[in-house]
Amino acid sequence: MPFYRSISSRRRRPNLRKGFELQLTSMMDVLIIIVVFMLKSYATSNNMFSSVPGMKLPISSSPDIPPDSLQVIVTPESMTFENEKILEFRVTAASAGSTDAGYAFKESDLDRPRGHGIIPLYDALIKAREKAELLRVKSAARDADGKPLPFEGVLAIQADKRIQYDTIRKIMYTAANAGYKIFRFLGLKKDA
Amino acid sequence: MFKRPSSRRRGGSEQIALNLVPILDTMVTLIAFLLFTTSFFAVVSIESPFPETSLQALKEKITQKPLQLSLTITEKEVEIWSPFDRIAAKHIPNPAAGQPDVRAVHDFLVAIKQKFPLETKIVFAPYPAANYETLIGVMDAVRTLEKTDPPIYGKNKTTGVDEPLKLLFPDVIFGNLLGD
Repeated sequence: MPFYRSISSRRRRPNLRKGFELQLTSMMDVLIIIVVFMLKSYATSNNMFSSVPGMKLPISSSPDIPPDSLQVIVTPESMTFENEKILEFRVTAASAGSTDAGYAFKESDLDRPRGHGIIPLYDALIKAREKAELLRVKSAARDADGKPLPFEGVLAIQADKRIQYDTIRKIMYTAANAGYKIFRFLGLKKDA
Repeated sequence: MFKRPSSRRRGGSEQIALNLVPILDTMVTLIAFLLFTTSFFAVVSIESPFPETSLQALKEKITQKPLQLSLTITEKEVEIWSPFDRIAAKHIPNPAAGQPDVRAVHDFLVAIKQKFPLETKIVFAPYPAANYETLIGVMDAVRTLEKTDPPIYGKNKTTGVDEPLKLLFPDVIFGNLLGD
């Protein structure tokens, strides 16, 4: 009676499971390899730089990995300082359908009559500087004379590859007026 | 008649199964944490200070006549020159409008570095419409020595020993921030 035999074999199956144990050793091996790989890459990425959607960073062969600092992100659409949008560009008529950046500052965003400084960026940089200096005053870290550590004044500039030098020099000029004297131009790391 | 086997011998053959489940839990938690916190956005940087000068420094320059290597980028060409005529000015035409010949710029600067191995500064003056990609490309060509470049030796200031240099002109300063 094959039918009855089949039912009896099914009934016996729970008895087979009694001694069954999942072999976790191979899974542990895989997980350990993943953890080691991730810890290795974790150690090399000591910055918290982020980007914005649509950003096209140029590729650079520079070997320098930037330490964490304040950063300004510039795209042909807007300017962002520390993840906060500070201004939006005006789309120029010449850009329609072209591959050029095609953007311009709004009149109200530039200081007049010279037009070298960017007002919203200056305000944001001054605010960030005051905050940093206040933190340094409250911090226990002091220099040899017992004074609070000086403000470093480093600004990382992350710009889309279509951004013009004219915009970048306006950023540098504005930042220098706000006390930021060192600039770090960011690029994507070139694969070896 | 056989005797009953010793219980001590039987006990030794028992297998110990290590409980891997808590370790597995820890691993999974650790991987999740690392995945959320690791930055896969690999960026590199090129540092440049804001140019600062004084009347005293300017007077010293006029008397000492340093190299003060300068690089002017225009839409049509790249000019490498020295304001004190320490080198003959070189004009390198762009193969396409607004796209400098970075290979030719690099090769010319390697030749200058061989003559002035201790010089590290270069003054940049790009035209206003030069894009960020062009700036980064030229700065890379100006700053880094490649493996295929001829070896250039410079005296280590601390040890006084000649050592192969790793960088070309790493100190890039923008000279036209207030206009052309």
